[in-house]
Amino acid sequence: MAHFAKISENKEVLTVLTLNNSDMLNAEGVEDETVGQQYLETHNNWPAQMWIQTSYNTSGNQHRDGGTAFRGNYAGIGYTWDEDDNIFWPKKPYASWVKYNAEARWQSPIGDSPDNLTDEEKAAGTHYMWDEVGQSWDKTFEA
Amino acid sequence: MNKKVLTEQSLYYGDVSMPEHWEIDRVELVHHILHSSLTNEKLQFSKTYDKLNTYIRDFIGVKHNINLVNKSTWGNIYKPNETTIPLLNIDPVDLRNSPDFTMLYGVKVKDCNIKIYYDDNRRKGRSWDIELKNNMFIMFPSTNMYYITNNQKDNLNFVQTITYEYI
Repeated sequence: MAHFAKISENKEVLTVLTLNNSDMLNAEGVEDETVGQQYLETHNNWPAQMWIQTSYNTSGNQHRDGGTAFRGNYAGIGYTWDEDDNIFWPKKPYASWVKYNAEARWQSPIGDSPDNLTDEEKAAGTHYMWDEVGQSWDKTFEA
Repeated sequence: MNKKVLTEQSLYYGDVSMPEHWEIDRVELVHHILHSSLTNEKLQFSKTYDKLNTYIRDFIGVKHNINLVNKSTWGNIYKPNETTIPLLNIDPVDLRNSPDFTMLYGVKVKDCNIKIYYDDNRRKGRSWDIELKNNMFIMFPSTNMYYITNNQKDNLNFVQTITYEYI
């Protein structure tokens, strides 16, 4: 089963459809994205170039079963297709965050949250939260 | 001090901005509405209708997080200077099977005015007017009564209506 994201002119993912692998075979019997795009154009009334194949098993630029990651993340509704980086991006969590292409995720401008919580703090529900105004990771406690 | 919104009456409107060369074939929709009116048959299913319907469902879903399911569709022709009777697409004694939203699409319109009535708590019977233009849609709760007016004396106005449930 293959998956294709339907994207808008703004590269936003509108929906994701599945396609039988047999519907995207080229003349040589090899799976070909352009054949799938053409099939979807014919049957779903949306231009072929606005259907982009996505991998159900890829997340954070890693393949779940150890295979080859494909286009960063499995596309979801509201994700953005980045043709230059060949990645589907989830929504940006904060305005200041930047792309971290190696792991196909957003990262704060000062990096990830510190990994220095004690086991007691973790057990008590303490964690780091991003402060967009102060541009810092702050310890927060939630019971 | 806290605030909780218990209900919301929202109107969604805008142009149906299809990709270039994939625009809605409004002439075909006019033909279907005419055929339906003359024969008293249901509107024909067509790729053009599917394009319009899918556009509305996809974009309302991604922009407003509302998942729409089709209930019904029909087309109307409004004569010059015609104002409709009050229109209401729910059945007050069968709300279970009534739609949540009514979507009006300007197939071929000129000076076509939509007046939508709503209540604002104690302030009852308020209305909001909007002009429906060609290739434009307006979607609002089906519990709102509305009128459609053809404000000019030369042309017929063609409007397609689609009703939806949300899930």
